[in-house]
Amino acid sequence: MKILFYSIDEIKEGRLVGEDDYGNKYYENNYYFFSSNRWVRYNPNVNMEYDGSQVPPEWHRWLHYITDEPPSTHPPELKKWMQPHKPNMSGTDKKYVPYSTTKPKVDVWQPSQGK
Amino acid sequence: MATVRLFSVGRLASPIIRNGLQTASAVPVIQSRSHFKQVGRPEPTWSTKELSELTVKTALWTEVMSGMLVVFGQGLKEPATINYPFEKGPLSPRFRGEHALRRYPSGEERCIACKLCEAICPAQAITIEAEPRADGSRRTTRYDIDMTKCIYCGFCQEACPVDAIVEGPNFEYSTETREELLYNKEKLLSNGDRWEVEIAANIQADHLYR
Repeated sequence: MKILFYSIDEIKEGRLVGEDDYGNKYYENNYYFFSSNRWVRYNPNVNMEYDGSQVPPEWHRWLHYITDEPPSTHPPELKKWMQPHKPNMSGTDKKYVPYSTTKPKVDVWQPSQGK
Repeated sequence: MATVRLFSVGRLASPIIRNGLQTASAVPVIQSRSHFKQVGRPEPTWSTKELSELTVKTALWTEVMSGMLVVFGQGLKEPATINYPFEKGPLSPRFRGEHALRRYPSGEERCIACKLCEAICPAQAITIEAEPRADGSRRTTRYDIDMTKCIYCGFCQEACPVDAIVEGPNFEYSTETREELLYNKEKLLSNGDRWEVEIAANIQADHLYR
């Protein structure tokens, strides 16, 4: 509890709206003013490494007040080519590193190829 | 001692200089002013009662105390700020954030390499190379967006005839290094695959206004 308060900086009571696949819990209490009436409590396993980008897109939409319908009651339509959410990996060894997606226009001559 | 010396020399020298000037100008004009007009704020006249009130105000710090009361009262009010990573501010479904390349529901990528986005991009942040694929359809082999050049004007998604390139709702993609912001086609497609749930819902929410 002490660690929880330390990481969140406030104690708030609210209704548990739902939980996503990554263990983040979403709460709502309309007693608070707009834009502080919905909040997320990140998975306790991430401890102090919580980040805003850990919210998956379906809950991102609800948490940013774009919609009032949480995915717990209105589950989104999933296609099989969709990928699971990935938080911002910058600064870790899983970060995105750019690379070219085309063949180079000039090939380098390899001595083993002969002429 | 030196200053005193200088001062005395100055006093001695001044009549000499003044006399010299007077001889230079033919007629000495001496201005004389007989009366003055007060143009500034008039000096306040304090009655005994006012003066005693002012003394009490100053001595007891009543104005400082009333100011502190305002500060204390504001401290009791609910703050207008939000606790960011836990609470987030409202966004529009039209919000223009990180780019993504979308797919058709079948899983086929939408982009047909018409290069309209590349042409309209005012920052020239988009680079496209295209080739016919093995099945004969025209697709991009390179679709690079330099996110450090992008000005997030949204012209690319306006120009796109097949709704392939969109600016998604994600804005939490800041990076530690500059090169991580040079997005290639794979990165943009995977953005689309991850955020399609929300991108599709936002387009659906806004379709009446397009």
